[in-house]
Amino acid sequence: MKQILFLIILFEFFCCNFIYSKDILTEKNYTEIEVRDGGTVIGNVKYMGVPAAVGKNLYRDWELSDASKTASEKLIFSKINNGLKNAVVSLKDITQGKKKIIPAIRPIIDQQNDCFIPHAIAIVSGTTVDILNGDEQMHNVHTRSTRNQPFNLGTTYKQRISKRFDYPEIIKVTCDLHKHAYAWIVVIEHPYFDMTDRNGYFEICDIPPGTHKFQVWHEELGNIEKEVTIHPKEITTIDFIYSQH
Amino acid sequence: MKPKVLLDKVGFWRATAVTGAALMLSIAPMTVSAVNIPTEVTDLGKDTYKKYCSPCHGEEGKGDGPLARSMLPKPRDFTRGAYKFRTTPSGSLPTDEDIYRTVSYGVPNSTMIPWDILTEEQRASVIPVLKSFSEAFEVRKPDAPVTVGLPLRPTERAIEEGKKIYEEKLECWKCHGVEGRGDGPSAAEQEDDFGFPIKPFDFTTGKFKGGNSAQDVYLRFTTGLNGTPMPSFAKELTDEQRWCLTYYVMSLVKPEGTKK
Ligand code: HEC
Ligand code: HEC
Repeated sequence: MKQILFLIILFEFFCCNFIYSKDILTEKNYTEIEVRDGGTVIGNVKYMGVPAAVGKNLYRDWELSDASKTASEKLIFSKINNGLKNAVVSLKDITQGKKKIIPAIRPIIDQQNDCFIPHAIAIVSGTTVDILNGDEQMHNVHTRSTRNQPFNLGTTYKQRISKRFDYPEIIKVTCDLHKHAYAWIVVIEHPYFDMTDRNGYFEICDIPPGTHKFQVWHEELGNIEKEVTIHPKEITTIDFIYSQH
Repeated sequence: MKPKVLLDKVGFWRATAVTGAALMLSIAPMTVSAVNIPTEVTDLGKDTYKKYCSPCHGEEGKGDGPLARSMLPKPRDFTRGAYKFRTTPSGSLPTDEDIYRTVSYGVPNSTMIPWDILTEEQRASVIPVLKSFSEAFEVRKPDAPVTVGLPLRPTERAIEEGKKIYEEKLECWKCHGVEGRGDGPSAAEQEDDFGFPIKPFDFTTGKFKGGNSAQDVYLRFTTGLNGTPMPSFAKELTDEQRWCLTYYVMSLVKPEGTKK
């Protein structure tokens, strides 16, 4: 009798868990395994288009030509190789692979001269981010996530806000006092991702061999996807190209 | 009434077993002051919502009912779980009691009336319906309410102290204006999380949306108004400073404004 009761309770437990967390479950399916002869992918994300020069007026009071007064981090790409900065390359639908490593030093987003620096970060779920205020004035930090608990906190000079992001989501961070200021926190469930540097370069290693779907996200240009076959202990080079839209 | 409704609705044994206990608990303490708020969507809740709330808040809680079109502020879109008036910290979901309070008290300066024409039971019954519109209530739980310390006396000194915080330390005037008329330098461009324009509150009117008591005002800037630019100032102030700021904000109310 006792055993039956126990079984029922156990059954309940699973059922309830399943019902109440169905939305998390669909994404929380990454298991860590040992990856012995994983492959590596390197390459560049490129943008073949012309820059739209709108953005913050950094040199408002200076005697400069209009074009050099504005700067925006919305769409930055290299003039030399068309490499696109701040794009996030990640494996899509990967269910198992290398261990997730939460960085020992927390990533930082600072507010300086009414701008968020850096403009975008990509983190593995479970990472805590420190959001600082380096300006001698009030700011606020406002996120609009649903899965990760959103927040909107006022911050004073040298104040630090520490928040952990547990669920995969692309989160925009804004300051309502300075509307042009915003940053992105891209949270990914697994450790297979990289954010491109100013040459659009990325690298992802220890990928289990086989064919994987890769996804690139960029705030202005959206998503692109591509299948890539990874061979054991080999480096595969691949470029992702956004054509002008 | 309630057990029956529930039984019809969820017609199989396991749900009954799970909710049975919860139900018994929720029925038991039936005192005059404490309303019991059902944990599951009931037929009464559905009917009440459809009849009284959906014309503005929409059939699916998206804030897009037939009456909503020309309205500003817009009826709340419940799908994100962003509730303005809470006792819980910034970003947290509201407690059931928070929602119950808003439904009963209404939102002054908007078309959301106090729903005291409904019975307590009806008001309580819509709460699970509102919550069912957002996946947020499935993945998260409301955080514990913030603690409100013992009130200070609203002395001249306290108000003076509050003024300093308002003007120098936390720069509330940037949005709310120096005189509290909601016309600060950053006021013009504000919009809420749903993309609609929103004005920083004009304190001189005195009709606080979240309630006029000192504790209400204290809670508003301590928890922030989710889904709006109004931030939470949770870390920056001691409890004493909070009361000072509260009294200063309340001192900005112009007597003509209160008389209306
Ligand atoms: C005539 C239109 C109208 C009707 C009918 C209406 N509401 Fe509202 N409701 C609003 C508006 C407008 C707001 C937003 C007010 C604001 O944000 O200033 C609102 C806001 C709310 C909120 C948000 C509280 C918060 O903390 O953010 C709740 C809860 C709510 N309504 C519940 C209800 C319920 C329950 C009913 C039915 C009994 C109902 N409303 C009927 C117009 C309406
Ligand atoms: C980024 C702009 C901004 C800043 C800074 C700001 N507020 Fe607000 N505040 C708002 C907005 C917008 C609303 C109105 C939301 C609404 O109508 O739903 C609001 C609403 C309020 C309310 C709620 C009134 C009610 O209807 O119940 C209080 C109280 C308040 N603010 C106090 C403060 C205090 C105190 C400070 C400084 C510590 C402050 N605010 C700083 C934008 C701001």
